[in-house]
Amino acid sequence: MERYIFYILAVLLIVSAIAAVSSKKMLRSVIYLLFTLCGIAGIYFLIDYNFLAAIQLTVYAGGIIVLIIFSVILVHHIEMELEVAKLSKKLLVGAACALGLGVFLATIYAHDFKVVENFNTTTTEQIGLKLLSYEAGGFILPFELISVLLLASMIGAIVIAKGKKLVKSEKSNVESIQKNNN
Amino acid sequence: MNFSNFLIMRHEILLLAITLLLLVGEIFIPKNKKESLVHLAIFLFGIHTAVGFLQLDESTLFGGSFRTNNLINFFKNILNVGVLIILLQSADWLQEKIVNQNRGTEFFILLFSSLLGMYFMISSGDFLMFYIGLELSTLPVAALAAFEVSKRISSESGIKLILSAALASGVSLFGISLLYATSGSIFFEAIIEVITANNLTILGFILFFSGLSFKISLVPFHFWTADVYEGAPISVASYLSVISKGAAVFILMILMFTIFKPLMHVWENMVYVIALATMFIGNLFALRQQNMKRFLAFSSIAQAGFILLGLISGTQLGVATIVYFVLIYIFSNLAAFGVVQAISLKTGKENMNDYNGLYRTNPNLSLVMLLALFSLAGIPPVAGFFGKFFLFTAAASKGYYLLVFLAVVNVTISLYYYLLVIRAMFIRKNENPIPFFKNKIYMRLGLIITVIGILVLGLYSPLYDYIYELSSVLN
Repeated sequence: MERYIFYILAVLLIVSAIAAVSSKKMLRSVIYLLFTLCGIAGIYFLIDYNFLAAIQLTVYAGGIIVLIIFSVILVHHIEMELEVAKLSKKLLVGAACALGLGVFLATIYAHDFKVVENFNTTTTEQIGLKLLSYEAGGFILPFELISVLLLASMIGAIVIAKGKKLVKSEKSNVESIQKNNN
Repeated sequence: MNFSNFLIMRHEILLLAITLLLLVGEIFIPKNKKESLVHLAIFLFGIHTAVGFLQLDESTLFGGSFRTNNLINFFKNILNVGVLIILLQSADWLQEKIVNQNRGTEFFILLFSSLLGMYFMISSGDFLMFYIGLELSTLPVAALAAFEVSKRISSESGIKLILSAALASGVSLFGISLLYATSGSIFFEAIIEVITANNLTILGFILFFSGLSFKISLVPFHFWTADVYEGAPISVASYLSVISKGAAVFILMILMFTIFKPLMHVWENMVYVIALATMFIGNLFALRQQNMKRFLAFSSIAQAGFILLGLISGTQLGVATIVYFVLIYIFSNLAAFGVVQAISLKTGKENMNDYNGLYRTNPNLSLVMLLALFSLAGIPPVAGFFGKFFLFTAAASKGYYLLVFLAVVNVTISLYYYLLVIRAMFIRKNENPIPFFKNKIYMRLGLIITVIGILVLGLYSPLYDYIYELSSVLN
């Protein structure tokens, strides 16, 4: 039974991933991406990573996709169609991808993996404790560092977003508008 | 857990405190007094740099995720000095162009968070910390590259940097996942014990290496370099070319000499080919550049190729020569970038032809540039010669005579294009050369430190001995 579910998910993943990169319309691409992310969440459920699957659904399928949709709607006209590559380029890229896939699959299948006899499901409680533990295997340091990363990204985004309005040399009237706003 | 143990993270804690302090200052200091924050930031970072030279214990924290030893501390100090010089050189640009756009403090916050990422990256004890450090060191720089938002070319370079960096870290992450699949751990200590040269590990290593090669801009992963350097503000370009590259070289060296040591017979050949390609392509493309920033970009690609000569030796000598070379390279390259920055700030000129006759009007700047280019080219009295010479010795000690010979050929090629700039400055005549101008105190200080560095590092040999002593930790 599990095997069939895996194959169904795999087909869903591959088809929607190909559709996401080859679709002409931007918004459709995003929706196909949503299916891909849901498929990955399904795979996580299948291998008993319940917490990861829940995170995948809430953060990626829920949050990120909504963000992408917002930015697509804000930045571009939705009707705009993306450029499609020439056939020769498509073939070239396809051949390169197939070659890469071949190399990777051959190497991975040829590898003699160690089988781990550990079927314990990781519970959310364990993950929470590990996340704030400073012993070996704890994740408090990466957790804190990621918060710095988030802060820096937000400041970077603000710098880029607010910049244009405040350039005085280019448009002197911008300044007066701002004064009025203040 | 004893909280005084945290003091071994002194670099990180201090830098984070400075960053947060600036952030609070940005919120509470009124708009017309923002300029004082530039002075404050430089002053605080100066103190941070000085404090960094105090002795630190060698230890690990957080169950091995964070580790530090004297070599790592020394390298953090090198990065600090480099960033301090960059701050001094960019103070004028910030005061004249950026503070009146109300964005001066963000420059420091982003730069410092990126530096913090590098600290954690080179002190990392597992791949998770390494990866987060890598991201933290790259993402803010992308925002910095797009800092001059009114210029289209600056935004373009920001987007180019972030796309290539995202691709690179994706590739590198896939490599790490393959390594995890074969070794069952992300901790360096644990991987060292189980790693063997099987195909999947080698594949993972190659992907991981390619990801870092993007940061060091080795051929064939160098395509972003010239475009990003040309579009980004000059201080950001110099940050990318020395600090970012230096940190990436350092962590790559640590990992290749420790956990990837069993794969050495594989990566020797790989590094051999990449070193040759990087040196030749960097040098040959630098010949045709007219824009000084693009010129320095290709020159920095070629210099990265020379660094690989130390990497290929895989010995303590290799470690010492790489650290020594990076130290000299930071000073020389920052001197060159500093002159370009000073001229670009005053006149807006960035082409090699604009430098014609510079010696007649601005003798001091021309002499700094002369020293910097001599050092980059490796002409004997200045430090750059010793840096390159030691790297060649390291490679020759393992019997790579052909590689060393080809590297010397490359030094000759590079000498030609470095001399092109010198000819423009000293020999060529120009009817309306760049007029005489005086630099402000920060810029002058920034250039003086680099000149002292270039002159002293080559003559003061105990420093090299000290680095060699520190390098023993990697054997």
